[in-house]
Amino acid sequence: MDHASRVYESILEMLPSEQNPSPLVRLNRLTPEGSELWAKLEWMNPFGSVKDRAASALIEAMERDGRLAPGRSIVEPTSGNTGLSLAAIAAVKGYGMRAVVPNKVPLEKKALLKLAGAELDVINDNLCPSPGMGDGAIGMARTHAKAQPDRYVMPNQYENRANVEAHIRTTGPEIWRQTQGKITHLFTSLGTCGTVTGCATFLKQQNPRVKIIAVQPSEGHDVPGIRNKNELHVTKLYDESLIDEVIEIDFERAYTGALELARHEGLLAGPSSGLIFEGARVVASREPVGMGVMIFCDNIFKYMSSMLKHLPALKEGTEA
Amino acid sequence: MSGYADTNVLVSTDWVKANLGRPGIRLVEVDVDTKAFDAGHIKGAVGFNWQTQLQDQVRRDIPTKAEFERLLSQAGVSNADTVILYGDNNNWFAAYAFWLFKLYGHKDVRLMNGGRAKWLAEDDKELTVEPTRVTPTTYSASEPDLSLRALVADVLAAVKTRSANLVDVRSPDEFSGKVIAPPGMTETAQRAGHIPGARSVPWASAVQKDGTFKSIDELREIYLKGAAVDPARPTIAYCRIGERSSHTWFVLRYLLGLKDVKNYDGSWTEYGSMVGVPIER
Ligand SMILES: Cc1ncc(COP(=O)(O)O)c(C=O)c1O
Repeated sequence: MDHASRVYESILEMLPSEQNPSPLVRLNRLTPEGSELWAKLEWMNPFGSVKDRAASALIEAMERDGRLAPGRSIVEPTSGNTGLSLAAIAAVKGYGMRAVVPNKVPLEKKALLKLAGAELDVINDNLCPSPGMGDGAIGMARTHAKAQPDRYVMPNQYENRANVEAHIRTTGPEIWRQTQGKITHLFTSLGTCGTVTGCATFLKQQNPRVKIIAVQPSEGHDVPGIRNKNELHVTKLYDESLIDEVIEIDFERAYTGALELARHEGLLAGPSSGLIFEGARVVASREPVGMGVMIFCDNIFKYMSSMLKHLPALKEGTEA
Repeated sequence: MSGYADTNVLVSTDWVKANLGRPGIRLVEVDVDTKAFDAGHIKGAVGFNWQTQLQDQVRRDIPTKAEFERLLSQAGVSNADTVILYGDNNNWFAAYAFWLFKLYGHKDVRLMNGGRAKWLAEDDKELTVEPTRVTPTTYSASEPDLSLRALVADVLAAVKTRSANLVDVRSPDEFSGKVIAPPGMTETAQRAGHIPGARSVPWASAVQKDGTFKSIDELREIYLKGAAVDPARPTIAYCRIGERSSHTWFVLRYLLGLKDVKNYDGSWTEYGSMVGVPIER
């Protein structure tokens, strides 16, 4: 495998690692004076998002402990990205894949999952906020795994430590190396929290003064993949002690932020990146950010229906 | 030890596991998500579809006595069986089914505390996709016990005379009239607000984080003290279509032991659509 020539025997060789990091790109026009912001472009991973890291680690962990073997299938609740990475890797390795997604997930993502060969269950999640354990997508995935244990295995990205370890092993070291240890701030979102917990664990070990800033959408948001802090009870991977600050941003700015990134930086980033960028901008306008790294989880293409909904002006002039 | 007024209406998930397959015990799953049962259910359970089996398919009404008898006969339920109901969404529709069983005079019916989600969360509890083989019975129901059911006339009388506790179990936004129904719901009403004199006690007030019911002391505090439900008076619980209110009806009638509690199954989709009735916001 030769990352310099970029010639590969299998798509899986393109998975990110310290030797094959996702790109780190500087923002040159939208950064407030006196700060430096860099975007880590996770959509450059082979299946298009940060979740390639968790998905490959989850599959490897299940192969190692024997729960996953040819002839068996993966079942997982997902807002789309994890499912897509899992489905693609499963296709390469010859496993089946069943994705359980909340109805709110945009159509592009549902269609992409089917395209990658996943069987799809669409669930009316958040029917009405009920206390405690949701039924929802997680419940349905768990139902399949419990009812057909000889057929399905559920990696459970919300509880599985392999999700965190993927970022301790890859994302964290990549950032440390790419910034030559100069990173001062890390900006991430909160989903399963694998990214934030893994990166923070690694980076704080290198330099405890690196500030970890989590950016969350305001309540009632519809940004797939990420959560507001009060929706975090579903994940066991959230470790508050590693996070210096949680910044809340009006969720509409996830979409306007994405638009600005495209128009002024040429970064075709998705809404969760737009939100992270807006959070970084708030911090940078308050204090100098020496070298801030933002995790841009995926790009905009699979969110066009959401973008059109939130920014109807994009539709104007698109028909003869 | 529970301290609940009626100690024979609730079983734990552990009890269900320990009694799986015992003759005379019938498990019935009732979910909001009608796909959940086929994806996996407790061994030996039959599934009822609330949309097609637990309401009349022509009129807006509960199933008739004959329809209920046919349903239970085909499900292999005998009059002497102990029926254990469970379902998703904290037993919303399981509680609605419980109400129907009581209405039609079934002697021994119980809810599995914590519902489907608690069973799912416990590692030692199994599910299956195997269809349950049933031997049809000849079930015979009693005439409906209307002391458990409020019709709109009962509600209007209660509004007029202020003689009953009215408990609105919907979300605060539905109660205040900010929304007519939770987002995405197909059954709604013409007007938003609540029945005059009703107290707002959202259904979820009755359950803990794991979906099981709160202790008797907490329930007394919430309903009798906090919401000032007077046990000496009749009580009517309502929601939007009568399923969340079945859950609260269960709490008031069986856990707190109030003597006269009715579930208003017409609920807001009926009341909030009537011409000329008083509404508060
Ligand atoms: C678009 C997007 N952004 C952010 C995240 C959050 O990452 P994590 O789950 O590691 O917290 C996800 C994860 O699902 C995602 O799909």
